[in-house]
Amino acid sequence: MVSFAAEPIFFLGNFAVTNAFLDTLLVDFILILVVIFINKKMSLLPGFFQNLIEVMIDGFYNLTKSVAEKRADMIFPFFVTFFLFILLANWTGLIPGLTAIGIREEDHLIPFFRPATSDFNVTFGLALVSAVATHGLSIKTLGIKEYLGRYFSLNPIFLFVGFLEIISEITKVISLSFRLFGNIFAGEVVLGTISTLFAFLFPLPFLMLETIVGLVQALVFAMLTMAFMTILTTPHSEGSKEVSH
Amino acid sequence: MEILNKFGFDPIMLAAQIVNFLIILYLLKRFLYKPVFKILKERQDKIEEGIKQTEKAQKTLEEAIGKETRILANAKKEAQMLIENAKSDSLELARQIEENAKTEVEGLINEAKAKISLESEIAEKKLSEHASALATSLLKKTLQDEIDKHGQRKIMENAFKKINKK
Repeated sequence: MVSFAAEPIFFLGNFAVTNAFLDTLLVDFILILVVIFINKKMSLLPGFFQNLIEVMIDGFYNLTKSVAEKRADMIFPFFVTFFLFILLANWTGLIPGLTAIGIREEDHLIPFFRPATSDFNVTFGLALVSAVATHGLSIKTLGIKEYLGRYFSLNPIFLFVGFLEIISEITKVISLSFRLFGNIFAGEVVLGTISTLFAFLFPLPFLMLETIVGLVQALVFAMLTMAFMTILTTPHSEGSKEVSH
Repeated sequence: MEILNKFGFDPIMLAAQIVNFLIILYLLKRFLYKPVFKILKERQDKIEEGIKQTEKAQKTLEEAIGKETRILANAKKEAQMLIENAKSDSLELARQIEENAKTEVEGLINEAKAKISLESEIAEKKLSEHASALATSLLKKTLQDEIDKHGQRKIMENAFKKINKK
């Protein structure tokens, strides 16, 4: 059975290097490889790989543009980075054999890698970054006055609405982090269980399912972040204008 | 808190993950999105420029074709004119040559005619002289014995007069 918490592999002083953290480093490594490769081979006539990256980035940019319009430039990096990071974190757990290598301890195996997003610390961290960045962008675009006006008002009705808004902001973080964590962790559990039932062929459909889940969850997290950012950076007046027409 | 611990919540790990993500965010923003957008923009510019240039080239080509047809038409016209000129010139020349030849021939004929008449005149004169000489000698021989010298002369003179009158 997979434990909720990521298992430490070794300790650096007080810092426990868990298998999820190792997976985070693997994701970092892949992303940095992509960056290095792109920067080395960048040309006006793109090769296959550059084309792939360009299509992806351009597609995501257009998606952001269609939602956030003129604030797309600001929101886009968060959107894509969340997507890429979470996608790779989800999928690295699916690489066959990667989660099967580890240290045997008593009656169960502690793998060297487990999907980073199946560690609550990671998803919670991502959700926090998303929330802080959203509010940061909101303050930056709207100004502190209009930003605070969303939550605090002299009008008691709006004050209550503001109170609800604050709660919803907190729930956003919780729902973002637990949704991602739950989905990926559950996927790990399912795969582990199925593999113990019958290790050959049988887990294949589940692997496929988990691949899709990994993609969808990455997209959900990134899209939600983008949507929140768009909502919170839209001025009141502009928002009402958009509603009126 | 109890539940968070169960999920393996660890503030240090959380901080590490946040820092890790922020670093990745910065790296991707600086070294992936920016260059990719730059190259996309560059390519777009280049393609736009290429299209513009193609249009320009097309226009120039059309202009050149127009010019070519105009020049060709002009050349054709000129050539036609040249041919016509040459034709009329040659006709004129031929006519002149013919005329010249005619006048020359006429001159030649006239000259020949004049010469013939002159020659015939001379021949006639010679003939008459010859005839008169023959006649005098004939008369002299026949009349020598019959008539005296005076009579002879008279007859001869008369005869000459009559001959010359002819």
